[in-house]
Amino acid sequence: MNPMVCCKTSFKLKNNLSELDTLCRNLQQFGNSLGLTKKCIFQINLALDELFTNIISYGYPDSADHWINIAISHENGTLIIRIEDTGVPFDPDSVKTPELIDKIEDCRVGGLGIHLIKKLMDEIVYERCGNKNILTLKKNIETFYDELTT
Amino acid sequence: MEIIETKEKDISVFKLNGRLDSNTSPSLEKQLAGAMEDGAKNMIIDFADLDYISSAGLRIILKTTKDLRRSDGNIVLCAMQDYVKEVFEIAGFDSFLPIVPSLDDALAKLRI
Repeated sequence: MNPMVCCKTSFKLKNNLSELDTLCRNLQQFGNSLGLTKKCIFQINLALDELFTNIISYGYPDSADHWINIAISHENGTLIIRIEDTGVPFDPDSVKTPELIDKIEDCRVGGLGIHLIKKLMDEIVYERCGNKNILTLKKNIETFYDELTT
Repeated sequence: MEIIETKEKDISVFKLNGRLDSNTSPSLEKQLAGAMEDGAKNMIIDFADLDYISSAGLRIILKTTKDLRRSDGNIVLCAMQDYVKEVFEIAGFDSFLPIVPSLDDALAKLRI
């Protein structure tokens, strides 16, 4: 895969946990088309899973259907992922994430998902535009190309 | 996700196959809790065929570990793909959870 090649994809997910399978399928298809390693596709899937699960768990006080838009582009060895939702304002950076944990008694599950996203992505930018949360994630994938396709 | 439960003397082995996420973690939670109710104290979770784990899966492993330790039980995790193991490391779980390379290593660890 030539890292200079620009590719993009976009899709939308309904606010239902069953859409995690759709997310996985879309990311696998996109990752394979770029020749990304299984590990890289896994990490992107995990970060987006945590965000998506968070949005549908806490974003919507009503029980109506809502759409979450995801757009991914690949430019010069970096993946740029944009997630848009119309849920309540939520900046992941405002979540206190765990310090280094070395005892099980100290381990709390709150904030774990956001902690994983921050560690797996290289950059996270949050904006609130009108009624939308827009989160832009960046991940450097230069070291993640499948050896067979480079 | 498929969960295959087997017994090696007094050790319960749970082999996971597929994806452990918010959709599938409730079934694992139920099965592990059921085994504990039936008296299981020593558990191995075999990750060899597990392709994916999210924080929903980590929560079940953490809860089970805490519950088992309260009843003087033990848990060992084994045979993780490197990128699954990395998630346990990022979460800090590797500092209190034994993670070993193979099922044989896990059985040996619990038999000491």
